[in-house]
Amino acid sequence: MSGALVQILDGNTFVVSDDRGDMEASLTDPTGLFSFDTRFLSRWVLTIDGQRLNSLSTDDVHYFETRFFLVPGTGTVYVDSKLSVIRRRAVGNGFQEQLTILNHDEEPVELTVRIDAGCDFADLFEVKDALQKKGTYDIRIENGGLVLGYQRETFIRATRISSSVAGSVDKNGITFEPRIEPHGAWTTTLDVVTVLPGENYVRTKQGMNGSRAASMEKGLHRWLAEAPRVECDWDSLRTTYRRSLVDLAALRFSPPIAGRHSLPAAGLPWFMTMFGRDSIFTSLQALPFTPELAATTLQALGSWQGTRVDDFRDEDPGRILHEMRYGELPAFEERPHSPYFGTADATPLYVVLLDEYERWTGDTHLVRALEREARAALNWIDEYADLLGNGYIAYSRRNQETGLENQCWKDSWDSISYRDGRLPGFPRATCELQGYAYDAKMRGARLAREIWKDPEFADRLEREAADLKRRFNRDFWVADEKYFALALDENGDHVDALSSNIGHLLWSGIVDKSKSKAIAQHLLGPRLFSGWGVRTLAEGEGRYNPIGYHVGTVWPFDTSFIAWGLRRYGFKDEAAQIAAGILDAAECFGGRLPEAFGGYERSVTRYPVQYPTACSPQAWSTGAPLLLLRTMLGLQPIDDHLIVDPALPVGIGHLEVLDIPGRWGRVDAFGRGRVDVETSRAIRPQLGAAPRVARNGRTRQHA
Amino acid sequence: MTIGANVCSSVGAVRANLSTEHAGTTLPDATTEFFESLAVRGHEPLLGNARGTLRVELADGTKTERWLVSVDRGDVAVSHRNGKADCTVRTDRDVFDGLARGEVNAVAAFLRGAIAVQGDSQFLVLFQRLFPSPDDAASTQR
Repeated sequence: MSGALVQILDGNTFVVSDDRGDMEASLTDPTGLFSFDTRFLSRWVLTIDGQRLNSLSTDDVHYFETRFFLVPGTGTVYVDSKLSVIRRRAVGNGFQEQLTILNHDEEPVELTVRIDAGCDFADLFEVKDALQKKGTYDIRIENGGLVLGYQRETFIRATRISSSVAGSVDKNGITFEPRIEPHGAWTTTLDVVTVLPGENYVRTKQGMNGSRAASMEKGLHRWLAEAPRVECDWDSLRTTYRRSLVDLAALRFSPPIAGRHSLPAAGLPWFMTMFGRDSIFTSLQALPFTPELAATTLQALGSWQGTRVDDFRDEDPGRILHEMRYGELPAFEERPHSPYFGTADATPLYVVLLDEYERWTGDTHLVRALEREARAALNWIDEYADLLGNGYIAYSRRNQETGLENQCWKDSWDSISYRDGRLPGFPRATCELQGYAYDAKMRGARLAREIWKDPEFADRLEREAADLKRRFNRDFWVADEKYFALALDENGDHVDALSSNIGHLLWSGIVDKSKSKAIAQHLLGPRLFSGWGVRTLAEGEGRYNPIGYHVGTVWPFDTSFIAWGLRRYGFKDEAAQIAAGILDAAECFGGRLPEAFGGYERSVTRYPVQYPTACSPQAWSTGAPLLLLRTMLGLQPIDDHLIVDPALPVGIGHLEVLDIPGRWGRVDAFGRGRVDVETSRAIRPQLGAAPRVARNGRTRQHA
Repeated sequence: MTIGANVCSSVGAVRANLSTEHAGTTLPDATTEFFESLAVRGHEPLLGNARGTLRVELADGTKTERWLVSVDRGDVAVSHRNGKADCTVRTDRDVFDGLARGEVNAVAAFLRGAIAVQGDSQFLVLFQRLFPSPDDAASTQR
């Protein structure tokens, strides 16, 4: 097995190979060519004279294109080859690979060049769970090419492989026998095309070709050119910003059934699909930079909004979907993702995004067009989500077999626990859901009053929101420790662990002003704040584990919303400090924040420890630096103006975001920094290193 | 979605027309009931954002049954005309009966190739809103 995995993609088509460009998938090995959640190529191995190749370097030209520079022979330290091999691969409807062999010798060479090809047509779920296939395979040699096929009843998938230079084709691949002159070159172009029935799967009629790659490159340049510019005396922040924009471009996804525009998919490569929660959070983060993502997210999620009661899919009228998948298992209803609705937060967050989108863009047309959907979402909160009849959103899956147990963003099995580590029963009413519900009602009220012209509905929503806030601050408050319980259990009792969820409560505005200081102190305190970001679960809790997926790691997306929440309640310095921690971490990761990293104390590890199986880039991690730019500059749209109220971390001298699009046209925002005079160092390599912030000459210590 | 050309025939006329065509059959089947009730409603709020024309072609042995549904911001007109459509859905009649009874999920059926869609497939997503839920189907069978 060779080194690191290399990934390139276009929409939901992606290739994962080793660093030689080879793929040798097994049921559990995740390499291959994937499209629409199906593997279309599981074996793709290049040999020359029966020998595997050795990687000299790989060059990720773009997110959709890679070049592999190789030499024959493996396993030796010393490489002395008279041949060079270049595989240039670009993703399109499948992929195209230009294979070039250079002969550096004085003598001609005669070679046997072989590409082994094969496919298991595994569904992504089968790759994850190592399941066996139920259909039949069919391999054909057609028109000098190879066709790999799979069929189960009416479900048909195929892969067509062809070469620009004729080779000898057999059922396991293609062999070429070129003769290459001294200092000459031989090249062929291999086309691998995914075939699905129906035109809706086809984005381009022809396979990948030069003009398509060129147009994708042009599209990427346009995307970068249209985004606001960031100027800062801290180089790392500029790098992180650019990385975020490029990754966000790669994560754009046009839902194949419905819609033409792009929305942010959840993550590369395994989550290149519509996710209600992830698409909404990422759209919120990116609003000041690329508001069109929010528009598409709202339209697409609105089209797919639940209208019926369907236990298999955990669907209710008005509910916003959790996840859409296109593979064999959802097609045969062996998984519920067609789409699956088991999320308790996407529905209120849908209304939150709709309002925030209008505040930035002034696009009242879309708010009017989606009035029915927004009302249905608001109705879902009270009509379908109050499972305990106590006025709170709670969740409990109705699909016991393949539904999700935890339907909040911390969706792993052990994420919701009491202090002593016990897990509560169901239904569970996690605290942040109540915050989102409050925010949805308040924002829905604004939309009802100002755009839908329904003041009665607005009044009702505001009354309900006020009542919810009053009850919440009473029922969820853990008085002895002064924070909000992680959840209420099925008896309405506190699930009393201290968690990052309390930060989302600040963002939603549901927290009584009088309680906000205690919450901010917890968030910046030693049990939750690692120095890099806010731990998902506080140190000292029964299930705390610094590398536990939702029970101790730091999620950059989570911390970015907490920073927004801190700003909302006026804790500017605290927001700046945790922003600095995450941006420092981004620097350590070359500008690309992973989904999650270890919750270890910063002073202990000195470097953020990446969570072992984290997916990267992950859309809402990519969005985190964007939201942190917003919180550091204190950007807030008010009527037709953009308010700027900067509070920069110590060490940033100046920060400018230029050409911010919105209802004001385009404006520039400037922030002057607060360079820490006590250390007499203008710019520190790591901004968040010191556990304190300076503001107006003051230094504040957090316990 | 594009603007449909064949919008808004009179609901009463359509209903009369549909009834005549099926006058010979003993009991209206699920598919016919579905389209007739859609025609009677005339306005369907769940399609409030939709504009365009959907053709449904149902293969039943050697016959093909055609339905044309025009939607203009929720105003729905149904006919058997063979007009131009923004989206054409082709499937077997028994699959559509299953959709109309809430037993078959349209998107899953599309994913497994049991329904073919040509044109703007957003219609399929919006149309799915009109089919009854599986739980309704279960309760009517009880």
